[in-house]
Amino acid sequence: MTLRFTFDGHEISCDAGASIAAALTAAGHRAFRETDRQARRGIFCGMGVCQDCLVTIDGRPNQRACMTEAREGLTVQTQVARPPLSPPQPRTLTPRRLTPDVLVVGGGAGGLSAAIEAKKAGADVVLLDERKVPGGQYYKQDADPKRPPLDAQQTEGGALVAAARQAGVQILPQTEVWGAFDGPEIMATGPEEVYAIAPEKLIVATGAYERPAMIPGWTLPGVMTVGAAQTLWRSYRTLPGKRVALFGNGPLVAQVALELAEGGADVVTLAEAAPPAWHRLPAALDMSRRDPALSRKGLNMLAKLRRRGIRPVHHALPDRIRQTDAGLEVTYTAAGRSGTVVADAVCLNYGFQPQNEILRLLGTDMTFDSRFDHLRVTRTGTCETTTPGVYAVGDCCGLGGAPAAMVEGRIAGRAAVGAAPVPADTAELARHRAFQTALWRVYAATLPHPESAAPETHICRCEEVTKADLDAALAEDPTDIGALKRATRVGMGRCQGRYCGPAVAGIMARRSGRPLEDLSFFAPRVPVKPVDIAAITAAEALLEGEGD
Amino acid sequence: MTETDLLVIGGGITGQSAALFAAQAGARVTIVDAQRNAGSHANAGSLHVQMQSRFLRLNPHLADNLESSLPLYLSAVTAWEALDTRLGGVELTREGGLMLAEDEAQLDFLRQKAERETRKGLDVEILDRDELFSLAPWLGEAIAGAELCRNEGKLNPLVANRKMRGALGSLGVEHVHDRITRIEEGSPPTAEGEGATYSAGAILVAAAWGAEALAKPLGLTIGTPPEPLHMNITEAGDYRIRHLVQHAERPITLKQFRSGQVVIGGGWDANLASAESRAPTIRRQSLLGNVALASRIAPGIAGLRVLRTWAGYNTPVDGKATIGPVRNGSRVFLALPGDAGYTLGPITGQAAAALSLGTDPPIDPAPYSPARWRS
Ligand SMILES: Cc1cc2nc3c(=O)[nH]c(=O)nc-3n(C[C@H](O)[C@H](O)[C@H](O)COP(=O)(O)OP(=O)(O)OC[C@H]3O[C@@H](n4cnc5c(N)ncnc54)[C@H](O)[C@@H]3O)c2cc1C
Ligand code: FES
Repeated sequence: MTLRFTFDGHEISCDAGASIAAALTAAGHRAFRETDRQARRGIFCGMGVCQDCLVTIDGRPNQRACMTEAREGLTVQTQVARPPLSPPQPRTLTPRRLTPDVLVVGGGAGGLSAAIEAKKAGADVVLLDERKVPGGQYYKQDADPKRPPLDAQQTEGGALVAAARQAGVQILPQTEVWGAFDGPEIMATGPEEVYAIAPEKLIVATGAYERPAMIPGWTLPGVMTVGAAQTLWRSYRTLPGKRVALFGNGPLVAQVALELAEGGADVVTLAEAAPPAWHRLPAALDMSRRDPALSRKGLNMLAKLRRRGIRPVHHALPDRIRQTDAGLEVTYTAAGRSGTVVADAVCLNYGFQPQNEILRLLGTDMTFDSRFDHLRVTRTGTCETTTPGVYAVGDCCGLGGAPAAMVEGRIAGRAAVGAAPVPADTAELARHRAFQTALWRVYAATLPHPESAAPETHICRCEEVTKADLDAALAEDPTDIGALKRATRVGMGRCQGRYCGPAVAGIMARRSGRPLEDLSFFAPRVPVKPVDIAAITAAEALLEGEGD
Repeated sequence: MTETDLLVIGGGITGQSAALFAAQAGARVTIVDAQRNAGSHANAGSLHVQMQSRFLRLNPHLADNLESSLPLYLSAVTAWEALDTRLGGVELTREGGLMLAEDEAQLDFLRQKAERETRKGLDVEILDRDELFSLAPWLGEAIAGAELCRNEGKLNPLVANRKMRGALGSLGVEHVHDRITRIEEGSPPTAEGEGATYSAGAILVAAAWGAEALAKPLGLTIGTPPEPLHMNITEAGDYRIRHLVQHAERPITLKQFRSGQVVIGGGWDANLASAESRAPTIRRQSLLGNVALASRIAPGIAGLRVLRTWAGYNTPVDGKATIGPVRNGSRVFLALPGDAGYTLGPITGQAAAALSLGTDPPIDPAPYSPARWRS
């Protein structure tokens, strides 16, 4: 079914189920909002984190185009930096209090598996996810259920979602968590409800988001994460552009290059920071020994790319991106030589950051993992965190990959309801973890620190804080990251420091020679995502009759 | 042992203002600060002048203290205006403050309050509904009128704090990160810290909630319990809310920064930090209650999302500033603004610094003497 809406007065038509971001991209629009300094922005993360795809929808400002479904007759407008103070159409949300045995936050591989196990063991299980269709980043489902699955990966994911439904897990789609309080108690907003959920046990399975390359031009419309491009294709069958250049580190980059090429994109560059796998034979052999099937899949993928004439350049890093009349022009360095390429979409991915905000709000212990440059949640063998009753599984605990997340989900799902562990799970998890270790030895690459970024590079996308601004504040020797934040506004914007936070924490740690730890990041606070005032007003009703 | 002319304990707005004043007068100044939960880093930049309904409601027995301090509030705003110029702009505006009423009883309360304030020299006026809505069309239907105080205003504390630090730096004021545990009134007086001992021509205590412990051994029993307060900030909207907004009966302050962001606070509580080195934590009730109240009185903000919340320590003391030497002739001085400490910080710091240098203070400090704390 086709539906129509308008964007700044132009008619846009798209398939039912498309996100506004996908529909606008398909229609050739790249810029969705204007910043306070009149820069233009569009899709970046494609997963509701960066808040750069904001548009005004039917008079309600600051709605994320990537998370909002297109509907017939909508009036969509470019988001201005400072919308008028006129009250939008009232939004009625019904306040609901839920007290399930188990609440699972996140419907990816880990969360779905956890919910299924807990439910099978007899518990009453609620699973929520901000997306319309669960599946998460790995199993990305098609927004249009009538389209046949793209490949085995999507089919498997579909089966997992179906299994959760069949088991009787109560799934709350399009429901986003914005608050976590001791108890634990989770506050979340759905399309028509606002929830206060106080479960017996909480399983956090919020996954990860992508680490960008902080280079001049990384905020330009058309520059997005590799995952954002993949979502456009896998969930909405929309290409991010005709000519696509991919720059990154790790197996996802090549996989998405192939998917986009098979979808009809012209992959003009596939640039990998690491050397080719055959330069690291021992690690590559170790990897294939740990999981022969997955390794074969990888080799296959490279062969298919080759057949399409796509040869990855190795030892390659992007230096800057410029908008020219011909398109986005990327200057890069590969094995010491510099090159340029022009594309309609530039996709970046330099690893992952765990989405651990809920856990950090609950005061869960974490340690810094310098290999992956991110925080890892401290857990028992059954994935229980140091916060009583709170479990964490999958990539929100630190990168581990989807197969490990599945097993962790099963383990935590059983443990949360007191069911006995399955020994095979433990053995399988050990194998997946060993594979991941070997995999990242193959892909190991030295990535530049943000300290070496050019002065005009945006470190904080939201508040438009450049490297030069940061340097000026650093010259005054701020005592901690909070002081730096107050001096520059770094991390004060809508994404709440998700991109600049880790970068700035790294800078501060290296300056002081102190190790990075949880306290060196911005202190997490509610709301973990910007929250609609209508949701707060509706949630206030839940306080009535409650003792203070 | 570190030696200096003036040792300022506490690097919040009061201590910084004292340091700026003394350094401009040629003194060598060191600020020692524990860098813990300064109210100056958490506050919302309201320049309060009219008596806050919240304080009167919570502390009816201290109403006279507050009323007698009104002249200090007027001088405080003047001091801030001078500081705005001195620092090269801190987004200070003086377009007045509105205290809203929803019914006749609340309006009556405001009328009586306005009378008392007029007697103390404040520029206040009661506005009826029409007058009010022509000034503030973004208000909600339920609002019946307001008291307008033309002396009030607002500024951006992030900008002010940053520029203040820059100004102190260029005057050579030294910043030391340490926590002072004890002060000795010898000659010269000394302060014992966790990292070092400091000796100075004079010591000025601007330690807000930390003052109680330091003053006790000096014979002063001041209650300075920290009051953890909650704040919220929204995304930016078109700059339309020019006034500082409060309510006659409900705890709220609401204003818009020049950046367009709306800052909502007004005395909702947060949880005391679990340890001295940690920040106070957010209460769900305060987030929900405070923001819901804000959107009822100013429905125009309902299209903006709440971006962040935070909490910090306020130090209301007894609703009156404490300025002066701990006893006659002592070289240890106190500078505690009391409630609305960000407003009163500069004048309080300047007055205490002047006394410590033996020069004329910008206000008559007699009513604020620490003598009232001697048991
Ligand atoms: C959320 C909130 C909102 C507010 N909003 C406003 C407003 O809009 N307008 C207004 O006028 N007022 C407001 N206030 C009040 C105002 O912020 C404070 O009263 C004011 O900042 C006090 O300044 P100060 O310099 O006296 O103390 P602080 O800024 O609290 O500084 C005290 C400093 O002393 C240090 N210290 C304490 N003990 C020791 C020790 N033993 N050794 C070394 N260092 C020590 C601390 O680490 C701290 O840095 C608000 C307060 C809060 C918490
Ligand atoms: S692209 Fe929509 S939030 Fe990032």
